Amino acid sequence: MTAAAPIATKHKIFSPARVTAIASNTLLELVRLKVFYFLLLFALLIIGSSFFTSKFTFQEQFQVLKDVSLGAMSIFTWLLGVLATAMLLPKDIEDRTLYTILAKPVPRFEYLLGKFLGVLLLLFVAISLMTGVFLVILYARQQDALANAARLVPAQALQEQLADIRAATFNKNLLPGIVIIYLKSALCAALTLLLSTFASSSIFTIIMSVIVYLIGHIQAIAREAYLASQTTTALTKAFLAIVALLIPDLNSLTLVDDIVVGNAISTVLFVKTASLGLTYIGIYFLVGYFVFSAKEL
Amino acid sequence: MSTPAISIQNLTKVYPIPFKREKVTAVQDLSLTVEAGQVYGLLGPNGSGKSTTMKIVLGLVTPTSGRTEIFGRDSNTVESREDVGFLPENPYFYKYLTGAETLDFYGKLCGLSRAKIRDRSKELLKLVGLENAADRRLGGYSKGMLQRIGLAQAMIQEPRLLVLDEPTAGVDPAGSREIRDLILDFKQRGITVLLCSHLLEQVQEICDRVGILDHGVLIREGVLGDLISIENQTEIILENAPPELLAQIREMIGKSSGRLVAEHRPQKTLERYFLDVTGPKQS
Repeated sequence: MTAAAPIATKHKIFSPARVTAIASNTLLELVRLKVFYFLLLFALLIIGSSFFTSKFTFQEQFQVLKDVSLGAMSIFTWLLGVLATAMLLPKDIEDRTLYTILAKPVPRFEYLLGKFLGVLLLLFVAISLMTGVFLVILYARQQDALANAARLVPAQALQEQLADIRAATFNKNLLPGIVIIYLKSALCAALTLLLSTFASSSIFTIIMSVIVYLIGHIQAIAREAYLASQTTTALTKAFLAIVALLIPDLNSLTLVDDIVVGNAISTVLFVKTASLGLTYIGIYFLVGYFVFSAKEL
Repeated sequence: MSTPAISIQNLTKVYPIPFKREKVTAVQDLSLTVEAGQVYGLLGPNGSGKSTTMKIVLGLVTPTSGRTEIFGRDSNTVESREDVGFLPENPYFYKYLTGAETLDFYGKLCGLSRAKIRDRSKELLKLVGLENAADRRLGGYSKGMLQRIGLAQAMIQEPRLLVLDEPTAGVDPAGSREIRDLILDFKQRGITVLLCSHLLEQVQEICDRVGILDHGVLIREGVLGDLISIENQTEIILENAPPELLAQIREMIGKSSGRLVAEHRPQKTLERYFLDVTGPKQS
């Protein structure tokens, strides 16, 4: 008796089915690690912040609620993106699971893309759930404020007051702001994935990713301070230019401050900020792929 | 003549040592062929280059020079892996998946249809004796069960070549024998097996041909029986032989040019004895 011919279908250079299998498996892995428990912490944080602001005016209350909620969303999605991504590759290598996957007809590009898409899906689910919690609490506070106004404000000023309350709660800036928070966390995940392609452990990857995150937040201030100095050398300028090129200015990748103070977010600003995020995500992923494709396993 | 399952030609792999000018040669000018249908044992002490050779065959490591092929296809290409199933040493599959989900995942990676995955999973879970554990998460599997689900995932797309790295490492004697029997079953089905193992007794039981690596160099290679047989000695095992017959044989030997080297009662292996005393009791 001879071995049968392989039953697999003809090999495809790129197979969305294989990428989907890896992505959904990655999402399942992260979900079964019970990473969504942090949502309880998020809900407690924003409900708690609502109680402490009960003595403020409604504008101040909504401002603080948005500030705390969107700030917490930024931090939680960043943490989730970094921690979830940092363990993917080193763990697969350490457990030799990677060998069994790449010993199948799976190109390395598909493996890496599947892993990254799995993290992006996780971040999407997380930010959707947090947005849901945030909107429900914002709506509850708005109803509370509307009921108080109806009870306390004189009839001639009531309609104007109700309109002010509605304008201070929900506006069209919220969604673009949340999209940018998502893109920022995706960018940090892409950066962490890149670091994990040459790092030897998850801990190293996490530490490096946190350092780069901090550099990304302070680099603009540092650059301005150095360039303003009379003693700045050409070498320092070149170094700052390289840092600025490798790591985006993460302070510019947020619209939270504008949303909190009620500034209008123009389409141009949104597209510009989103493009910056998407460009860096693409670059980090591709560099990560080139490092990973040459990696000796 | 049929295409060899594995063809390795003048393979060399040199690893640079980071931050040093020195280099380590893991494999040096290795050439060997594994014919289709053979069980080939790749032996050698730790650090002899077995794992590196295996990884190059699987396309996980790029050779410094030389060429490896799987059924005539360059093993650097992803397509060549359609024909290969691999079980690494001490594998840890995704603990959060059940046995059936694990096979489903690997089946999808091989591009199998949903119906084919279902059929193959059922067949393989039965073959490796994990039908009753199909819906249990791998986190609760014993070492032997993990090795068996590992063999099942390696076989999911019906590959013509199986590469097994220490498939019985850390498994108890009964589990080890089950895995050995599975390998023999694969051989019966015509599947080529490349086996790396330190358990020489097991290699001797199942391999047709072996290659011995030392410091990255293939120092011996050939048909197992030819390599280990002692050319000028003959072994005769008698059952229920009376003392008179034995005396006659000794006398005949004394009169001939031959020499009686040893005379003793054959012993069963410790493994066989262990399995006899710990195996299922017959009523």
